Amino acid sequence: MPRALHALLAGLLLTASGLSPSIAAAQSPPRPDLAQVLRRLDDLYRSGASIGRVELTVETPRLSRTLRMRIWTRGLDRSLIVIEAPARERGTSTLRVDRNLWNYMPRISRTIRIPPSMMLSSWMGSDFTNDDLVREASYAEDYNCSVAGRSTRPVGWLIRCEAREGLVGLWKRLEMVVDDSGTLPIEARYYDRRLRHARTMRFDQVREMDGRRIPTRMTLVPVDRQGHRTVMRYLDLDFDASVPESTFSLSRLERNR
Amino acid sequence: MISSTIDIAWRNLGRNRRRTALALTAIAVAQLALLVMDGLMHGYTDAMIDAMTGPMLGHAQVHAPEWREERAMDLVLEGVDATVAELAGMEGVERVSPRLYAPALAALGEDGHTVVVVGLDATVESGPGGMLAAVPARARPRGRQALVGRQLARKMGVSPGDEIAIVGQAADGSIANDLFVVSGVFSSPVDLVNRLGIVVPLATAQDTFAMPDQAHEITIRGNNAEGAEALAAAAARLPELRGAEVLPWQQLAPELITVIELSDASSAIVLLLVFVAAAAGVANTMLMATFERTQELGMLLALGTTPRRIVRMIVAEAIALGLAGVAVGTVLGTGAVLVFAGTGFDFGALGNEAVGDLSFGGLNYGLRIYPRIEAADIFTGVWAVVVTALLASLWPAIHAARLEPVKALRS
Repeated sequence: MPRALHALLAGLLLTASGLSPSIAAAQSPPRPDLAQVLRRLDDLYRSGASIGRVELTVETPRLSRTLRMRIWTRGLDRSLIVIEAPARERGTSTLRVDRNLWNYMPRISRTIRIPPSMMLSSWMGSDFTNDDLVREASYAEDYNCSVAGRSTRPVGWLIRCEAREGLVGLWKRLEMVVDDSGTLPIEARYYDRRLRHARTMRFDQVREMDGRRIPTRMTLVPVDRQGHRTVMRYLDLDFDASVPESTFSLSRLERNR
Repeated sequence: MISSTIDIAWRNLGRNRRRTALALTAIAVAQLALLVMDGLMHGYTDAMIDAMTGPMLGHAQVHAPEWREERAMDLVLEGVDATVAELAGMEGVERVSPRLYAPALAALGEDGHTVVVVGLDATVESGPGGMLAAVPARARPRGRQALVGRQLARKMGVSPGDEIAIVGQAADGSIANDLFVVSGVFSSPVDLVNRLGIVVPLATAQDTFAMPDQAHEITIRGNNAEGAEALAAAAARLPELRGAEVLPWQQLAPELITVIELSDASSAIVLLLVFVAAAAGVANTMLMATFERTQELGMLLALGTTPRRIVRMIVAEAIALGLAGVAVGTVLGTGAVLVFAGTGFDFGALGNEAVGDLSFGGLNYGLRIYPRIEAADIFTGVWAVVVTALLASLWPAIHAARLEPVKALRS
């Protein structure tokens, strides 16, 4: 998946995949090794370069729409997202280079840089924010995490992470539920600076894609917006793609298909 | 007998002219302050109500329920053309103006800026009290043209003739994007429009944001601000507006009502000062006057004047003093208000010259206030002074009535 999404995932998710196989597993599966879990979460969708296709469904109380897009990523801070469908929005692109975001609108042939003031606004009308696309938090490095114990709903290990001093970001605390083996995320809950539960991301439909077992569907539910949710589904994902650096340039953005 | 009492009371006031003049001045200044203060307050609230009910709110507004809380693009009013025509045909309706508000990103070059695209009927809004009332006809947006708020234009660095890109979200959730040519830059009394506003013709905005025959708001302007509640109630009964929320400006801007109540409260405080000044002036004057006339009052009592008449005489003296003071104050106060009623009183001239406007509740007001006087303000002061004079003179009057004639004569 594109880097933007990677970043998104890395920042947001942290854990939880619904389909944990060990339903019948004993009362208490062995406690997972924290360092291993965090590394696993950080690396889940990470790769040197990737190409993927994603279906994004945005649901609001009154309407629902689905976008299909293609995503290129390279390293942790380059990504390009191009909308393929519906036709009306085909070619609309978002380019991320470091912490900068540009949107390209083919209809008017214009590229617009997203100002800092819009970072917390919705990305393409979804429940994701522009900031989600550019954030690259690492559980291991940016948070102090601990295994807080068993979670009953959903079932798994609860991992609680508190933002380290000085971390710039929206989330002061993350709570992740990972499956019993500590390898897949099931749910991530995001707490804002006042420690209010702001949103929940669920991970499910675990499948093997390009040799990795990953949750292929992520559902983001904002707590304070009734009836809103955004579902992101990987259609395919190539973790070892060859993606040249030139993919992530403004000129390329405007030439894009 | 009444007229002779007043006669005597009046003459008594002239005995110590300096003392009378001082008491009278205190009362007059208090009444003057009250009238000027009330005059400015009226001018101030008039300006606010005008600005509010003009470009910003109109006298009543129609929205889809919950639009005011959520401001979601897809909370729209349907069949806007028919509704507007129906509303415009209602009695007492001067102007009906549909509007569309879309948060968006605007860019001249590459850098995006946060804006609100306001789609409106440029012809209707160019009338008095409309959002574009101050915009010259040639700058009015037509077709794919946009009028940009002054502060926003400065921030973006745009000037007329530039082409700007707008990207936002359409009502159907899709991505809206369009190019507009800047037809002009304007200052709006509405703060938000100055800072973030890009005004485009309604039809264009409907097209860009996928809102055919839809709008977020319909603003209704009636004949006067007072009739707004009845107007809103009548509009709400139209079949076209079934299910919509129709509110008069009083409910749309409750904070404005609070400000008006606050200004009433502050004039009540000034009124209290009038009471205190009048009471102090009258009580002091009358106490001194009765004590220094003890012998004379004893003589009157000895000659057979009834205590009741003594009381009447002293109270009449006090009220005459109060009325004279309040009359002088009224003349001066009314004069002061009338002098500034025509030209306005410029608060800006008092302070920092750089401050040309004052912003409150999302609106900019000129600092020039046009004071206005109401008969009620004058009568409030008169009534307050008379009551105070009466109360303040009762003690000296009763004291005088209770004098023993013989003792009083000897003192």
